[in-house]
Amino acid sequence: MPYKRLIFILLYDSGKFVLSRNFRLQKVGDINWLIKNYNFQSISYSIDELIVLDVTRGERNIEYFTETLKKVVEFVFVPVAAGGGVDSIEKAKKLLHSGADKIVVNTTLYTDDLIIKELVKNFGSQCIVASIDYRRKNNRYEVLINRGQRLIDMELKEAVKKVMELGIGEILLNSIDRDGTGYGYDLESLKLLDFDIRIPLIVSGGAGKPEHFIEGLRIKTVDAVATANLLNFIGNGLPLARREIIKSGIDLANWDENEFERLKKLTMEV
Amino acid sequence: MEDGIPNLKWELILKSIVIVNYGMGNINSITSAVRFLGYEPILSDKEEQILKAERIILPGVGSFYKAMQNIRQKKLDTIIKKAVLEKGIPLLGICLGMQLLFQLGTEDEETEGLGFIEGIVEKFNQSDKNVKIPHIGFSRTEIIKDSKIFKKLGSQVDFYYNHSFRALTQEKFVIALAHNGEKFTAAVENGNIFGTQFHPELSQSNGLRVIKNFLELKNAI
Repeated sequence: MPYKRLIFILLYDSGKFVLSRNFRLQKVGDINWLIKNYNFQSISYSIDELIVLDVTRGERNIEYFTETLKKVVEFVFVPVAAGGGVDSIEKAKKLLHSGADKIVVNTTLYTDDLIIKELVKNFGSQCIVASIDYRRKNNRYEVLINRGQRLIDMELKEAVKKVMELGIGEILLNSIDRDGTGYGYDLESLKLLDFDIRIPLIVSGGAGKPEHFIEGLRIKTVDAVATANLLNFIGNGLPLARREIIKSGIDLANWDENEFERLKKLTMEV
Repeated sequence: MEDGIPNLKWELILKSIVIVNYGMGNINSITSAVRFLGYEPILSDKEEQILKAERIILPGVGSFYKAMQNIRQKKLDTIIKKAVLEKGIPLLGICLGMQLLFQLGTEDEETEGLGFIEGIVEKFNQSDKNVKIPHIGFSRTEIIKDSKIFKKLGSQVDFYYNHSFRALTQEKFVIALAHNGEKFTAAVENGNIFGTQFHPELSQSNGLRVIKNFLELKNAI
């Protein structure tokens, strides 16, 4: 069985990375800013996976997005999932050719089953991640699409079932209520999913400190915890969180961070 | 040399490493991994480049059937066989690229593979409800044979996997095992042919070490 995973999410809007709170965005800086000021390389050495999402509120430009994506993956040696507006095989291919190992889909899950099935058939179920944005209202868990702007007539439980039926490889659950708050994950909603989820499940939205990751990972059905909170986990934040998680008794994958520099040097043995 | 870089280093950089391009999946990560290690890979589907290579990397994500279809269309099956079997060029197959080294794939429909290693590729059994398929994430991998590609790594190493199918083959070819409801083939070796079910290019420094070992195999050709 694989280890549980710690995932970092980069949110992108028209050339800039953004902070999100309850799906309201605040631009912080571009890729060069991220590399220079936030030591992104060292962040990538502390995570098991990276997700890069184009959440542009206006019209998306996939060409610009893929340029950024290519730069991000240049120095990241973990899997990268990318998405945002993927509604065709062509768009998925563009992302896969720009450094994405997996494709994240959201709105298309409810608007075009055929495309989703095509994506699964073309790239395999292990390549497709279904992102579900939801919020709690009057004891119901509503699902929203179009970057959290449009409510659909389907509850969270139904949406998860639908995703599994479509043959998708992984589920990413985002709580809009908790997004960017730092209050911890919405783990209550998971109780609602009282059936077997036989594909990996990632929870996201709300992590503010290492304890939140630990709470999430302790849940049996949760395979991975994600955070998009640049401010809380930048710099030493993620390396420290990773150590805290391991210290709490949760087994995460292990590698030697100091190896990277040694590996860079060409050796003379040929 | 005038700029003070020793000749030997240039030789290393100029080592011809070909990543076979057959239009399946992400080749950016493997390209940047090779670059990170100090080499400049060539992405190619051209016979003359593949036959002149000192190392060949066969990447791949997606369906076995679709991959073999692409490979045959470009006549890459004949070219790779010539390079590997006649010229003895070391080859590393990654994930789907490893699965293609076997005789038969069963994804979508039965498809003949490259046939370098005896065995077939089948979907994981999902009899245990606690086992999730696809198998996604880092998994502890047991190195069971003293292979050159695992040099300087311990006997248990964590690598990243992302797959629903696994290879069923003879014990003599298996150099590493991992576990997902059952023990499965994590890496294989047959002479100059190597394959990893895991993604070394996505396995942090553990995987980079495997790629470096492969690129720097001694007395390879």
